Amino acid sequence: METNGPGTTVGVNVSLSGTLKDQNDIAVFGMVEGEVISEKSVTIGQTAQVKGPIKGELVTVAGVVRGAITASDKFELLETGKVFGSISTKNLVIHSGGIFVGKSEMPTGEETVEEPEEVENEPDQSSTEETLIPDEE
Amino acid sequence: MYYYIMEPPSSRAVRQTYQRLRDLLTNLGIAGEMMAASPARTPEELAMMGLERGYSTIVAVGGDAFVNYIARTIIGQAVLGVIPIGEAGQVSELIGTNNLKTAAEFLKFRRLSTFNTVTADPDTLIFLDGIIEPPKLAKVSFVIDGKLRGYAYFNKLKVTRNLDILIESQHLVEPMKILGLFSVGGTVIKSVSQFHGRNVRLTTEPDLALLVNRQPIARTPLQLRLNPNSLKVITKRGSIL
Repeated sequence: METNGPGTTVGVNVSLSGTLKDQNDIAVFGMVEGEVISEKSVTIGQTAQVKGPIKGELVTVAGVVRGAITASDKFELLETGKVFGSISTKNLVIHSGGIFVGKSEMPTGEETVEEPEEVENEPDQSSTEETLIPDEE
Repeated sequence: MYYYIMEPPSSRAVRQTYQRLRDLLTNLGIAGEMMAASPARTPEELAMMGLERGYSTIVAVGGDAFVNYIARTIIGQAVLGVIPIGEAGQVSELIGTNNLKTAAEFLKFRRLSTFNTVTADPDTLIFLDGIIEPPKLAKVSFVIDGKLRGYAYFNKLKVTRNLDILIESQHLVEPMKILGLFSVGGTVIKSVSQFHGRNVRLTTEPDLALLVNRQPIARTPLQLRLNPNSLKVITKRGSIL
């Protein structure tokens, strides 16, 4: 299911299985077994139970999630929320009372900046050696 | 020149409105061939006749369900014009007026908007919102684009021309009695769901009718298919909606 309509809402008494994908916001208040993917926000309501990975720009959890969560912008676990799985996000907020069992990853751009500096030192050393060679002769 | 198909008049007042409309159209210079639907000549048959005679614009004069019937016949073959009369809330909103004179003027200016429609296999067209309203809470199972399966209990289910599926339910959770004396609970649980796709299969238990303006147009199980930008309609402002 992939469209650019007005968004998707999964009501309290709805049970789904499969891939729930939408270009707009997704709100889940029922049960979902499978992937939940949005290009915008994903809200897991207090009555919701999701078993599967969640991907979105902004992910907010007030219900129960068992699976990996990837929030490209921000992840927020509310006081009633429970997450059993991994979280990958730049901005992580866990409210008091929220339960998180798993590992979190916060990707930053810093590691990739340091690497080129080390590489630049090596050519400098080799150029010093080259200048010594004519002196020895 | 336009080809007009009129819904059978439900009252003397509607007959008088039709006469007023004839005068209006003549004054605007867009009077064309006018046909009145009847049990002997259905709106579909009249629309087919219009297409066979080479009309490129067919105007439905009537309520929501009547307009939906005409749209079903002419889709992809002619432009739809609408004069809303009677119970025509949806179609009035769609063209931008519920006023007879203004609707006639829209026909003269002929600004076209293109709308999505939905086909319920084999050949039922959903141009205006279709509603399923069971007398009591019923179960619906659905498959959306072959990727998402689910079920829900509902009191009302709506199918729009953009193939949005809106499912609403409201039911009371019975109160629990403690020691036969105290009641706990008894809350009303409301649920609203919205899905959309390009191909949707709906099955209900039991089988139920899909209604447009309280008139049945199809029955579950339904295989629904989105037809993007498939129907051209004369509206207030021309645009792709």
